[in-house]
Amino acid sequence: MKRAKTEVELEAGRQRRRLMASSGPGLAWIMLFLILPSAVLLGIAFFSSDDYGNPVMPLSTQAFGQVAGYSLLGWDPGNILVFLRSLKQAGIATLVSALLSYPLVFFILSQRPSLRPLLLLFIVLPSWTNQVVRTYAWLELLGPNAPVSWLGHTLGFLPPDLGMAPGGFAVTTGLAYNYLPYMIVPLYASAEKLDWTLVEAGRDLYASGLRLFWHTVFPQTVPGLLSGIIFVAIPAFGDYVVPQLLGGDKAMMIGSLIANQFTETPDWPYGAALTLIMLVFTAAGLVAFRVVSQKVGGAEEAAV
Amino acid sequence: MSIPASVRYTLAGISWPVYVLLYTPLVLVAYYSLTPHAASEWHAYQLLFSDSAVFTALQRSLILALGSASSSTALGVLLGYGLARFRNRHGRGWLSHLPGLIIYTPIIMPSIVFGISELIFFNLVHNATGLFAAGLQTMMIAHITFQVPYVALTVFARLSGLDPNLFDAAHDLYADGVKSFIHLILPVVQPAIIGGFLLGITLSIDDFTISFFTAGPGSVTLPIYIYSAIARKGVTPEINALGTVMIGTIIIMALGHFFITSRRERAGHFAARGNLG
Repeated sequence: MKRAKTEVELEAGRQRRRLMASSGPGLAWIMLFLILPSAVLLGIAFFSSDDYGNPVMPLSTQAFGQVAGYSLLGWDPGNILVFLRSLKQAGIATLVSALLSYPLVFFILSQRPSLRPLLLLFIVLPSWTNQVVRTYAWLELLGPNAPVSWLGHTLGFLPPDLGMAPGGFAVTTGLAYNYLPYMIVPLYASAEKLDWTLVEAGRDLYASGLRLFWHTVFPQTVPGLLSGIIFVAIPAFGDYVVPQLLGGDKAMMIGSLIANQFTETPDWPYGAALTLIMLVFTAAGLVAFRVVSQKVGGAEEAAV
Repeated sequence: MSIPASVRYTLAGISWPVYVLLYTPLVLVAYYSLTPHAASEWHAYQLLFSDSAVFTALQRSLILALGSASSSTALGVLLGYGLARFRNRHGRGWLSHLPGLIIYTPIIMPSIVFGISELIFFNLVHNATGLFAAGLQTMMIAHITFQVPYVALTVFARLSGLDPNLFDAAHDLYADGVKSFIHLILPVVQPAIIGGFLLGITLSIDDFTISFFTAGPGSVTLPIYIYSAIARKGVTPEINALGTVMIGTIIIMALGHFFITSRRERAGHFAARGNLG
């Protein structure tokens, strides 16, 4: 027997249609132009490659062997080193930006309220310029013949004609420079809401200095710190511009390794397999991170 | 707020050098754009302004930034509005989480994966149908894709902060969906729309990686021009002059926007306080 729809069901249907009419186009756009393409890319990882590096049947896991370092010439640790280097660079850049962010955030908070937005703006401003420009700018400071390298030559810890860039140090610096605002902004947001009565209570109990900070201030800023770590570590791990411009051959990171398989010597399945492994790493990192942050508390804000 | 004076000095002692360091590379770009040994100190700028390749690249960058930001604002405002108003927030199951997951994909996905995915996708579609030849059109599509979520989230944040009774009030006054959108929603989210549009332009100007992999031979924009010039012959005074102009424009625009909006807010603030005496 067919039952007439209740008013509640009709209303729910209307809501769904309105949702589709308003949000539908934007969501469809992202699905068509990003989610579908990345699914295609990941699918390509499971094909064989022909002489031109294009994906062909039959399906195979050969590309994953290449990722692990196996080729006709035997095993080579190159790729694993690139992965480890990317992890290390992203890790150091995240640590440096976290260590710099705390003093900066509390410095800004210690100023008059009317001055704070301007001080925050001056932190964020360099990141609004184009990434290529603000990255190559470091060549002016660290490259051969540049002031810092000249100092290095004079003091004798750098061979002449060599600069601090290109190299691993320049990449770390460039990554930290690029992504520092991504740490400061979420950290500032959580430090702004800090409950200072807890700090007073700690002081009344004769805690001081680092102990006071560690037990009263730090726990309250953990949500901001956790979001900041995600916003810095993920893009730094896969960054392309910084290692390309400041790294040179010996400081190659995963982003350039992937790009090479689609530009210089094409091998799509291999490049796709590298991408898949990189995304698995990123996702595993995010999941591990969520587990940790739920244990530490303040997970709601860190959840992405 | 209770930070002891000694700690304040330490904080300032660490922070000011960081501020200086943030701007040192940018200042050096400007410094090395000057050519004291050439006929004129501004020689690099003369070269730059007479270079037609730079001019076309600038035109393309502007078309890309304005075109993608306006399209993504239209899509993003509707998306954010729909999610804030019509999504069943108490729904269970994966379907009610789907819009959130979709929105966060472009934000979380590393640029290199984003760019390469689009490169492969456009390449395959082009080979099959002849559509989507790599060029300004494919770059535009990619730029819209990474801007939409940011606009949507900006609008969503603004609308979620609203009293839901406002919508009921509009409904009681017989405003239908379209009318309440025009007379209630648009004025309320106007700052978010402008903010989202400006954010879109900023994101478009900032991006290199995604542009690089979706560009074609005839769609060199300013960042791609700079990148390939550096790869070819290193950093020259002319590249520094171009960098200086780009950095200067962004800084002037950002400071201008900041002071205009903060003055407006201050004016509103005083008006509100006026009532309290």
